[in-house]
Amino acid sequence: MVHLGRIGRWAFFAFIALYLAIPMVAVILYSFSARWTSNILPDAYTLAHWGEAFRDERMRNAFWRTTWMAIAVLLLDIVLVVPAVYWQRVRNPKIRVFAELSAAIPFVLPFIVIAFGILKFMGRSAPQMLGTPLIILLSHAAIAFPFLYWAVDGAMAAANVGRLNEAAVVCGASPLQTLRHVILPNISSGLAAGGMLVFATSFGEFALVQILAGSRFENISLYSLDLLLNTTSQVELMAVLTILMFVVLFGISVAVVYLNRGREGGFLPGSRALVTEKNE
Amino acid sequence: MTRSSSGGVSLSGISKHYGAVRALDDVSLEVAPGELIALLGPSGCGKTTLLRSVAGLEKPDSGRVVIGGRDVTQDPARKRPIGMVFQSYVLFPNMTIRDNVGFPLRMRGASSDAVRKRADELLALVGLSEQADRYPHQVSGGQQQRGALARALAPEPEVLLLDEPLSALDALVRVRLRDEIRRIQQMVKITALYVTHDQAEAMAIADRVAVMNAGKIEQLDAPAALYDEPATSFSAGFVGNRNALELPVVNGVVRLGEALTANAPAGSGGRVVAFFRPEDVHVGQGGEAATIENVSFQGLLTRLHLSVPTGGEPARLWADLPSRNAAGLQVGGSVPVRIDANHVRIFPAE
Repeated sequence: MVHLGRIGRWAFFAFIALYLAIPMVAVILYSFSARWTSNILPDAYTLAHWGEAFRDERMRNAFWRTTWMAIAVLLLDIVLVVPAVYWQRVRNPKIRVFAELSAAIPFVLPFIVIAFGILKFMGRSAPQMLGTPLIILLSHAAIAFPFLYWAVDGAMAAANVGRLNEAAVVCGASPLQTLRHVILPNISSGLAAGGMLVFATSFGEFALVQILAGSRFENISLYSLDLLLNTTSQVELMAVLTILMFVVLFGISVAVVYLNRGREGGFLPGSRALVTEKNE
Repeated sequence: MTRSSSGGVSLSGISKHYGAVRALDDVSLEVAPGELIALLGPSGCGKTTLLRSVAGLEKPDSGRVVIGGRDVTQDPARKRPIGMVFQSYVLFPNMTIRDNVGFPLRMRGASSDAVRKRADELLALVGLSEQADRYPHQVSGGQQQRGALARALAPEPEVLLLDEPLSALDALVRVRLRDEIRRIQQMVKITALYVTHDQAEAMAIADRVAVMNAGKIEQLDAPAALYDEPATSFSAGFVGNRNALELPVVNGVVRLGEALTANAPAGSGGRVVAFFRPEDVHVGQGGEAATIENVSFQGLLTRLHLSVPTGGEPARLWADLPSRNAAGLQVGGSVPVRIDANHVRIFPAE
């Protein structure tokens, strides 16, 4: 067993932090650089690229489109997954095998394969849906739901949802009341963690949007690709875009971690008091 | 706080199978209004399944459940006039104790003022007023169970169902809370079914005890009657910490040397099992010489583990005697023992 001293631990932590931060710092510097030649830092700085990015209506639209799509995918997955996992845990454990198999598919098949599969299927059965936001919504919900499924399933197991359900039922609660007043508040940490992954999956997804909608639903990923391929090469603009995407996802992650920090009960009210009592 | 006596419970012909396993076998039981019946038995005897059938958490294969004169067999759990306390409390972690107690009323659409008033009444009844605004994980196990009891009583159910409510608590709290539950049950005058595997708990809390075995009720009696007059060998063995000796029957008489002579019941066959309590073994008052194998001081009483020669394998039994009479008794020593035949229950050997 190697024991790092206090300084050693800090040095190790600093190295890892630096390793992770350098690419992001470089992108940030690039977004502010007026000119960057052979020096380690830019030769001159400017806010012009940020101004240009925010003035660019195409970029604003792509950003907005991507955001509302990610939110819609998240809501659809919550509506589909939470009741299904609840039902599976309290009423019909037999559907677990089917649910777990479905939840494994997006992990074992590349998104591009899934995209072509959907393209083929929809091309035959409902070609009018191709290129619409609806097909993006449904396909994103399909590939992202496993993240929510596993997180919610784990949270329900940890909360002992079966017993909570029985206690609620003998108190006279209907299934909907049970879900709303008892189950959801007790799985909030899993819901938040899984929800964040669903949001991020849709937010940064490229293959399905490219294949199923193309320019008819230009999201941030497609817009970024276009910037890269553009012969006038607006790489600084892309740096701005990358930072914006990072800020959105990082902000959500920080919010989830902050709300969930060091608590046995996740988001449960009073858990902070518990931690305080234990520390005393 | 007190209420008029709640309705009784009538169970008739309840059967339940899990695959090939018969959990309940044609069980019938009448619980009088305001009565507390303990369902007592070992693990797997069907006592919890029976309770859950009354609650509506299990659907029996056959039989009827009537609560307060209403047939609720087909009703879902949430429509039944019940309150239930679980072994592991199962208070909702996201709610304060007060909100937990008020939950059943909120689900029934009561106004927030009425919910708070009733919750505070019940919290006072179970002695939790000061913890009302705490969350379940901020109070002790005993306090959580008091909260669960208050929650179960909140909607004024016809019947209170308690599923081993004390088994997760330590011994001292268990005894205190057991007496509290009985006090509250009698004060509220609510009909109650109480599942336990602890015979002392069942005896202490119940008006009547139903001893269950293999999905059937072996005996239903008042605690004293059950203790003194077990109706079956299972009841005799399960209740009362009895000695159980398998002995031969010779000319209709069961004998253990000079220690015991008793008449065998009619149709006993060649061997019987004699059940007798350790306090009915008289030490040092004549009888058969027994070897002391162990002496265990238990405060008021001292328990002797004795070995009585039979000609073959010695019969092993234990005797409880007042500790003040046990001075000088030592392991390896010999004492005469005599078993009071009037208190021996004899059943055919299976």
